[in-house]
Amino acid sequence: MHWLVVVTVLAVNPDLPEPTSPARETPEEKKKLEEEIAKELGTPSLRAPPPSAPSAAPVLAGPAPSASAGSSGTGQAGGSPFARILLLPDISAVGSGALAWNSLDVETASPRSDPFAPAHELQPIFQELELGVQAVVDPYARADIFLSFSPEGAGVEEAYLTTLGLPLGFQIRAGQLYAPFGRQNQQHAHVWAFVDRPLALARLLAADGLGGPGVDVSWLAPIPWFAELHLAYQSLAPAFDPESHRGGLARLIQFFDVSDASTLGVGVSAARIDEAGEDASRDVLGADVFVKIRPPSGRSYLALQGEVLLRRLSGSEAAGGAGDVPEPPGTEWGGYAQAVYRDGPYLAYGARYERAPAATGGPEHRASALATWFPSEFERIRMQLSYDRLPGGSNGFEALLQLEFAIGAHGAHPF
Amino acid sequence: MKTLSIAAALALAALAPAPADAALKVVTTVEGLASLAREVGGDRVQVTSLSRGIQDPHFMDANPTLAVKLRQADLLVDIGLDLEIGWLPPLVNQSRNPDIQPNGKRRLTAASAVAVMEVAQGPVDRSMGDLHPAGNPHFMSDPRRVARVAAAIAAKLGELDSGGAQAYQARLAGFRSRLEESSARWQAQLAPEKGRRIVAHHNSLTYFLDWAGLRAAGYLEPKPGIPPPPSHLAELVGVVKAEDVKGIFLENFYDRRSADIVAKYTGARVVAIPGDVGGFKDERGVLDPKDWFEYMGALVKLVTGALR
Repeated sequence: MHWLVVVTVLAVNPDLPEPTSPARETPEEKKKLEEEIAKELGTPSLRAPPPSAPSAAPVLAGPAPSASAGSSGTGQAGGSPFARILLLPDISAVGSGALAWNSLDVETASPRSDPFAPAHELQPIFQELELGVQAVVDPYARADIFLSFSPEGAGVEEAYLTTLGLPLGFQIRAGQLYAPFGRQNQQHAHVWAFVDRPLALARLLAADGLGGPGVDVSWLAPIPWFAELHLAYQSLAPAFDPESHRGGLARLIQFFDVSDASTLGVGVSAARIDEAGEDASRDVLGADVFVKIRPPSGRSYLALQGEVLLRRLSGSEAAGGAGDVPEPPGTEWGGYAQAVYRDGPYLAYGARYERAPAATGGPEHRASALATWFPSEFERIRMQLSYDRLPGGSNGFEALLQLEFAIGAHGAHPF
Repeated sequence: MKTLSIAAALALAALAPAPADAALKVVTTVEGLASLAREVGGDRVQVTSLSRGIQDPHFMDANPTLAVKLRQADLLVDIGLDLEIGWLPPLVNQSRNPDIQPNGKRRLTAASAVAVMEVAQGPVDRSMGDLHPAGNPHFMSDPRRVARVAAAIAAKLGELDSGGAQAYQARLAGFRSRLEESSARWQAQLAPEKGRRIVAHHNSLTYFLDWAGLRAAGYLEPKPGIPPPPSHLAELVGVVKAEDVKGIFLENFYDRRSADIVAKYTGARVVAIPGDVGGFKDERGVLDPKDWFEYMGALVKLVTGALR
């Protein structure tokens, strides 16, 4: 953990020269004057604002090139003066609801995340309203806050600070956050291609997404492709467990440009989470693959995605899981593979196959088909049909018709 | 602390791939900006564009492999006015390069150098389509504004690499005289068509038309980013006939079906234009603009050709 301390020290000393930036000469007089001013203010010159720090506020920044903007054509230099002047954070809301029909009594036969309906009832479901509040805090960090309102109540889905200026490729996120484990766990529901969380993620990771208060330190390796290593320490409530436990996580995610039109992402993740009971623990290993094939000049693409998870409960009597829903003890595995074809700006189709440990033990298989219509970038309507095969030969059928909309300024999503 | 940072720098230098040379690494969001950076930067800069001319810059993916290019950037030049809002901000955050954050000392937003048109006046919401409330970001096809952007890039490069400040200004002067020459030639080509009306797909030619003395009779999109319903196309057919519109222009990354329909009912010509430098090709494969001058020349040629 020594390097972590080093990073923290570097973080609070923003005046350290940046090793990567080439030498730049500021006029000597200016430097001298700066030092004099620093002395006058009683600030040790060590604390003087670094030349490499992002300029504090627009009003303090040096003359922008716009100063020379003249009267060519009509219009206003630099665009609307009102766009950001109020210093309001970006505020957005994402709402989702569904019409669901299930042939199974899902809660006992096939416990999963929302949305689902009581057996043989066509039920309208309010899923979630996500309120996003996002802004840069200061030149050194930004904050992203997502509040979630759902039938279960209101809660803080995520609320974390992200550093912007750490040297050597480090970045720290701290606060309430989804654990850096696998691909889909870190995505909000409105980013998923399919309506619901894969069964394997709900049962082997966490029903509502594995997350909680903690810190995630990541490092972008200085190599020609994208390779990011995450180490996180969080308080986590795994599977269907309402209680939080301490957990440590590690993740390596890499992205490669395979060709002009295709990108490959591969990730491996590992987590160890304490369980109730002496020396009891839950270990989860995961591997994820993401391939996106998109001819550069088009809006259509094919996205292939899959994750495999292996979970082991070990030690003491807790090896059956302490959650609301019984968990098969010992070692279990599951996963999913999906393909989504985005047909231009307005349509998408997908297919998904899943395997997960059933609540009663034994494997549960599920296949889903998806059709999506995007009336605009800010609205989508999805139809998802799933067929479930449970151990013992029983079958389940599910139909979901879901509506989702987004308003306001919602930050762009990672790849 | 100093020793530590030196040690860290050494460690990084050892890890990092050896830089090709000491050239300033300039990353731009679009090819047009990259071309300008090459014009004024010459050998002192090494320029990469995140998007390609054949891509719609509104709908790039925030592909993490692009963050790798931003990590080592000595300067990021973007268009601004929310053109890149769907993909650039997460990449900049992922890059861990603090100086290329908005308003950072190694960030130049080209829009800050030009007079912006179509700035939203009064309340704005998305019933008006997916518009850019801070103004129209498609100013790279207007030589007057391009001159200002080039000047801003030269000034920024001089700031970051003071040893080359004079060289940048000299190259800028050269660029400007070439630009004036070409501009005069283009204007002469356009002169017979002054005041003519055209139809465009998106409001991406606003600045070009303003410079060229042409006007838009209408757009295929009823509102920015909104696909045309048949009723809108029918209305447009009427407009095209009434105003004697000869050319319907759309960037070659757009679906041309709607344009073809309007053309079919009016006899106007549909002309696919490059979206940017590198934005090859029209159907006849004539166009593959390699730098900004070629792009602009191609645009002028296509427009005058269609209006004649």
